[in-house]
Formats: sequence, C-alpha cells, structure tokens
Amino acid sequence: MEGSSRADLFDPATLASMGHIEIVARWVVDGFLTGLHRSPRKGFSVEFAEHRPYQPGDDLRYVDWKIAARADRWVVKQFEEETNLRALLVLDVSPSMDWRGAPTRLTKLAYAERLAAAIALLLLRQRDAVGLVCFDERVRSTLVPKARMTQWRRVVASLERLRDDGADGARQSEAGEALLHAARLVRRPGMVVLISDLLAEVDAVDRAVRALRAAGHDVVALHVLDPAERELAVSGDALFVDPESGLTVSAAVAEVREAYRATVAEALAEWRGIFARAGGRYETVMTDAPFGAALRRAFAARQDIAH
Amino acid sequence: MGFLSPLFLALGLGAAVPLLIHLLRRRTGVRIQFPAVRYLARAEQEHSRRLKLRNLLLMLLRVAAIVAIALAAARPVSRALGHVVGAGHAPTAVAIVLDNSLSTSVIVDGRPLLDALKAVARRVAERAAPADRVWLVTADARTRGGTAGAVGSAIARTTPLAGAGDLPRAVLSAAALVRVAGVVDPVVALVTDGQATAWPGATDIGGVRLAIYTLDGPAPANRAVTAAVARPVRWTPRGEITATVSGRPGPGAGDSTTYRIVLGGRTLARGAVAVVPPDSGTGPGGGGGPISLHAAPPERGWIGGSVELEPDELRGDDARYVAFRIGEPPVAAVDSSAGAFLRTAAEALVANARVSLGAARPPARTIQIVAAERLTALPALIVPPSDPVRLGAANRALERAGVPWRYGPAARGDVIVEGLVAGAATASRPDSASTAGAPVTALLRYPLQPQPGAVADTLARTGAAPWVVAGPDYVLLASPVDPAATTWPLRAGFVPWLGDMLGQRLSGTAASGASAAVVAAAPGATIRRPTGVEELEAPDGSSRVLAGATIEAPSVPGVYFFRRGGARVGALTVNPEARESDLARLGTRALAARFRARAVGVYTDPDGWEAAVFDARAARPLTGFFLALALALLLAESVVTRTRARGDGAASVSVRRAA
Repeated sequence: MEGSSRADLFDPATLASMGHIEIVARWVVDGFLTGLHRSPRKGFSVEFAEHRPYQPGDDLRYVDWKIAARADRWVVKQFEEETNLRALLVLDVSPSMDWRGAPTRLTKLAYAERLAAAIALLLLRQRDAVGLVCFDERVRSTLVPKARMTQWRRVVASLERLRDDGADGARQSEAGEALLHAARLVRRPGMVVLISDLLAEVDAVDRAVRALRAAGHDVVALHVLDPAERELAVSGDALFVDPESGLTVSAAVAEVREAYRATVAEALAEWRGIFARAGGRYETVMTDAPFGAALRRAFAARQDIAH
Repeated sequence: MGFLSPLFLALGLGAAVPLLIHLLRRRTGVRIQFPAVRYLARAEQEHSRRLKLRNLLLMLLRVAAIVAIALAAARPVSRALGHVVGAGHAPTAVAIVLDNSLSTSVIVDGRPLLDALKAVARRVAERAAPADRVWLVTADARTRGGTAGAVGSAIARTTPLAGAGDLPRAVLSAAALVRVAGVVDPVVALVTDGQATAWPGATDIGGVRLAIYTLDGPAPANRAVTAAVARPVRWTPRGEITATVSGRPGPGAGDSTTYRIVLGGRTLARGAVAVVPPDSGTGPGGGGGPISLHAAPPERGWIGGSVELEPDELRGDDARYVAFRIGEPPVAAVDSSAGAFLRTAAEALVANARVSLGAARPPARTIQIVAAERLTALPALIVPPSDPVRLGAANRALERAGVPWRYGPAARGDVIVEGLVAGAATASRPDSASTAGAPVTALLRYPLQPQPGAVADTLARTGAAPWVVAGPDYVLLASPVDPAATTWPLRAGFVPWLGDMLGQRLSGTAASGASAAVVAAAPGATIRRPTGVEELEAPDGSSRVLAGATIEAPSVPGVYFFRRGGARVGALTVNPEARESDLARLGTRALAARFRARAVGVYTDPDGWEAAVFDARAARPLTGFFLALALALLLAESVVTRTRARGDGAASVSVRRAA
C-alpha cells in the first residue's frame, strides 16, 4: 500500500486539513519525488549526467570533492536539469476561484494555492528560479523569480497573505494582463505556469499566450475546475449568479444540464486548442484529484522543456 | 357531444395549473453562486429554442391530459365522434315491456310462445351495462327494477297471465319510468306477439324512443269460448246457458269442435259446434253458435258452471265460467188493488213455472204485489193507489212498512219512461234486450219522494225523476200499472220484467236479505266490492276477507262466490277477455302506427331489435377514449420529460461569444 503513505495521492481536502500550505506542499512534493524515484520515467529528474573541469566562476557546491581528494583534480558535476530554468507561476485569485461545489472539496483557489506552492518547491529543489504573480482584475502581487530556497518561503508567505487579505468584492479575472506582466519579469526564455479557472477573456489570454511564446517562453496552463462546474451537479430550478460579473441566469437544471455539459466540453476543447495552436501546454485539474496528478502534469511540461 | 355528468367539466380548470407553472417557473428557485454562469448562459442561449419548444410541448401535453381527464370524468357521449372512437353504448334507461298476456301462452312448435319472447327480452338485459337502468314491465303493468341480472331473472320467472292485461298501460308506465331516468336516449323495448286486439288505439309515449320486437307470420290456430251466459241469474229452477265459440282453425283442422257444459262438477251436456272466425260469426260473441242449454238442475243455491272445449294450442280460453243461483220459484200474492194487468202477468209467469201463487213456506217469503195503501209487509212490489184520495193512506202504509219513499201529488202529462229493461235487476246482463218499439210513456204518475236515509236503485225514470226504484225487499212504481196511467203493461217486455222483479229483486230469503248480483271480471281486474259482501270464496273452498270499496279479481279464471254471514250471496266469474282469444296479428307497419313516440322501430329479427334498443346510431360513450387519450398524453409527457437534448453537444459554439 505504497500509495497510502504518499501525501501527493491523498484526497486534496483531507490533506489540506492537515496543515498550512507550506507543510502540505512539502508533503506533496516529498511524496511526489518518492514516486518519481520509483518510477520507470525518473530520467527527467535532477539526475547526474557527467563531470567537466572546474572553471572559475563555477559554483563550489557542484565541485566533486571526492574526486578532488582522490585525484587532486577539480571537476564539477554536471546535471541534466541544470538549465537554470526561470519559472513564473501566474495564479488566478479572482472571486470565481474562491468557490467549491461541495463542502467536502477545496475551493479552486485553495487547491490552486497548494498546487502552486508544491510546484514552486519542486522547481526550487531543481534549482530553478521560481517567481509568483497573483492576479484578478489586476496583478495583485509579484515575486521576481529566484532560485534560492528562501524563495519558497516568500512564495508561501505571499499566498498566505493573499488569503489573509480576503476578497474585496467582485473582480473579473484578467489573465491576459497577468501573463503579459509575467513575460516582462522573465527576460530570458523561461516557463510560465498559469493556474486559473480560465473564466477570463479568451482573446486576451490567447494574445498573451502567443506573445509569451513569441518571446520564447514555454506556457503551461493548469485549468482548475470544480467537478460541479463540469457536471452542473445541482438540482431544481435556480437563479445562478456569477460572483465576478454579477451575471444571473435562471434555469431548470434538469432541462439544461446536458446542454451545459456540452458547452463546458466545448469550452475546454477550445481552450485546449488555443494553447495547442500557440505551442503551449494545457491541462485540466479537478479539485477532487490528488495534488500528485496535477503536479505530474505540470512537470511533464518541465521535462519537455529540459530536454 | 353531450355529457352525462357535466359538473365534472369543472375539473378542466385544473388545466390552468401546468399553465401557471409554465408561466411562473422562471421566477422560482433558489439563488446559487456559480462561477461558470457564462457556460450556463451560453447553454441556455444556444438551446433556448429547443428548450422553449420542449417546455411548451410539455405544458400543452399536461394541459391536454388534464382536459382529457376532465372530459372523461364528465362522461361524454357523442353520435358523430362516438361512431369513430366510441365503444359500447351510452348509459341508457331501458324499460322492457314483455307481453305475457294470455295469447302468449299459445303453444307454437311444442313450446309456449312466451318462452321465445322471454329469450328475446333477455338479450337486452344481458347486454345492458352496469351504468344502464333497466326495468321489466309485464302486460299487467307490474314493474320490476334493479340490476340487469335481476331483471334478467325476473324475465325468466315471468309466466303468462290468464287474461289480456293492459299492454298500452304497461307501455305508458314503462315510458314514465325511463323518462324520469334523466338519460340522453331513454327507450322502451317492447316484446310482443303483435296481437291486434292488444293494441286497440294509439298510445302516445311522448319523447321516448320505442323499439318493438314482434312476430311475423300467420297467427296460431285457436278456438275459444268467447262468451257464456246463464239466464236468468236466478234459476227457478229452470234456466238457460248460452255460449259462443269462435276461433281460427289451423290448416287442415276442422271447422267444428266438441264442447261440454259443466254445472257443479257435473257434465250436463256435450255436443259439437261449428267454429267460425270471430269477425264473421253470428253468435252473441261474434263467433259460431250459440250453444244453448235449457236445464232445471236439482241443485239449489249459488252454483258455478263452465262451458268447455276440447284443448287446443291456447288452453287458457278453452273454458268460460258462469254462475247463477238455483232456487224454487218465488211465491207471490197479487192483491186486487194491484190491478188486472199485474194479475194477468203473474198468471203468465205461473204458467211458465217462474212464479207460484199462494203462501210461501219459510224461509221463503211471499211477495206482495199490491197497491201502496194496502201494503202490510215486505217483500212487495208496490204500485201507487188507483185513487188520488188514498195517497195519504198509501204514504202511511209505506212508512209503516219501512219503505223510505213517499208518493207526491199526482202529476199528469205524457212523459217518456227511460231505463226500463227486462232483467234490469241483473248487472251481468248488459246485453239484455230492451223494450223494443215505441217508447214507454207515463200519463199519470205520483212522483217518488225519497225520505232521509233512502238507499235504492233507480230502475227507470221520467226525465230526472225516478219512476221505478228498488230497495231491500221492495220495488216501488210511480204510476199505476194501467194503460190509463202508463203504456208499460202493454209492452212485450212487461211480463219478463215482472218475472225479473219477482225472481231476482224480491225473492231473497229473510236471512240473506237482498241477493248480490253475479259480477263478471277479467283476471286481475279491479272491481267494486258489492254492498255487504264480506268474503270471497275460491273454487277450492278457501275464503279471503274482502275490505275496501274495490277488490282485485283473482288472477285464475273460475267461479268465486261472495259471502256474507257465512252464506253465498253472489258470484264472481273470472274469465279472460274474449278479445284475447283472437290471435290475429298486426303487421309491422300497422303496429308502428299504434304508437306516437320520438321514434318507433318495429323489428321481427331479434338482432335488429337488440341493436335498435342500444341504438347503433345513437350517441356512444367517449369516456374510454378520453381516458386512453389522457394516458397517451401522460405517457408522451413522461417521454418528453425524460428525453434529453442529445444533439446539443454537436452544435458549434464559440466560447468567445459567451465570454
């Protein structure tokens, strides 16, 4: 029962109830990496590749001291991941994210926060530089990418500060602006991970993704969805209110459910197409899925970039 | 289209419920925060037309289902639509009039004709639905109601009457029954043998439909004693029985038949008599004969007899009953004051052995024929005094004798006397010969003045004044029996009249008082109870006490005796109506012409008649149709409700539009 001891495979809501973001993210990453080491696909991790002669300016942390002691020759260890990737997590914190379809699940924002923290930790453990941009109708906070482990604490603090700030009224998600802002923070080609429910202006996002790709950035979109959003798992007649735009729709759920599912499916397909056409990567993340699954999807992209 | 329960149409108001729900449904429900409203809005927008159509269809199906249920509950019937989708027949009220008169007891092909009629009548009872109201009315107008099964059983139990009954009255009763049932198409279903004499005139049943089943073909052969009379009612002891035989012999049958005359269980005479159709006969009853028997039986008192034929297909009219009283000739004493004409007439009666003169032996009493002033005792035939100066003495004598009449002052003038008939004392002889020729007139009369409590029969009158009155033990004339006072003694009927007065009116014993008459009645008929009669003695010797002003004649033909104080004082002869023996039938057209109704149909085939009773062209119930329609609508509603817009996902939709 290996899986039962891996936090990345726990029920997200159950795991989230065990501690703060920092702790949860650490459990998730630890569990995730444990799974990777036992995975036949572990080659993409922080694996030793070769030695090369030490050159002035090289980080002394990578000097292989055993060889230096035995052969009196300074060499440094060369790792595959040693690409000095600059990753920027772009997190949607708009009101639409602060919603859950059932009390037993995390809100999309809570899920996204823990996922972002876990990704950041994982990247930092690979010595990648990680930054964070939080946005709703505007950019709320920005952390410039850095590769130090202390960066992760700043990331976590930033996320917790957002929660402490709370919502201050309806704010529409402007993901396009946030992505363009992220592009300005990463000067050389890097990776931008958008974590959002993508209830945003499609054209703006499309334009931003294309701009990022034009600048050489890899773009990964993690589309966070609550299962209730996908299935319209409510019953009876109701007046549905969009917490961001205030748009209201009166509907008999039983009558419109199938059409709604079809519409959602079309929308997801459209999003997938947009990112595919721009050369980006698009993944849907359900809030009832273990964090490990989402993390694996995110690092599948990281693997592609590293190679 | 009509409705049997129109109040249930109010259920149709329930159709407003789905309509209101349809109109108000968008305004109900809870408020839910839902981020993906844009997707929902897009789904609504893209599928709104289909959804609206579907909702409209659902609303229409629900409204139609409720309306159909309301229509079904209102029990609709329709003539036009019913023929297309209706089933069965509309609830109706059927009164089956079953002709069970005597004529239907005739044996045809080895079984009573009534059995065939009952089989036809039962078809209607068996086809009647539980919602139908069914009655059975027989020829005697007796009614039996209840369920179709009960009526069917009543039909099976029906037996032939001993008489004609009253079929027109039965039809009228049946029409009254169905008319008040409040159904759309009430119908009287008549099953009859079509006997012509049963339908003498037109019968009007108003707005009720009449379906008649009758028989075609020739009437069965039948011979009957259509009349039998015993004359006089009091035999002294000689009398005469006359009878008439009529009928329609069947093919190959002879035109004569044998008869016998039975008195008190003893055959007095046998013979053969010719049988001729009743409409061509010469006898008293219109048939052959008459059979005539003069006899002086040794029996005394009230006695019954019969004239019987050999049995034929219709047994009920092969015998006819008579009754009369046999006694010694009345004893009379003619006072000289009565006049020569009364004496001479009495001597003529003596010569015929109808009267004897002298003193009677008890308990018989001597009948005084006397002028009023010489009256000393009753019974008496009393004439006025020959001299007006004796008028006072005459009235005093009447008072002493207890006669509640007085003579008034003499009145002169030639006035016609009306009502004088030979045998006027016997009510059973309506065909008695009247005084033919010139009318009887009265030149001198002493008006008869009744005293308080006077109860008497007026046997003759001049204008409005009584001329001859008869009470207990007395007969009182207003004119002297003398050609100077009246022409009556010069008439041929005078002597028979005197014989009747002495033999019938005044010959009762002291113990019995006045004799009751012989009453003839049909089986089951209602007759007046003769005065003073206390009991009715049946042929088997049993008696039943009589009460009330009227009594119902027994249903079994025969001779019944009236009793008073334990003694027979009269007789009741119960015989079927003579017309019932004439089995001639009406044709269908002639039978239809006997009725006035909303519609009259005459059928000779049971199937056609049965179909006509539950009129195939009439309105049929649509309840089943509307229930099926409602079920289909609800089924369709269920299907539409469960059906999802499977093709919704195929639509090409741009996220941009919704976003």
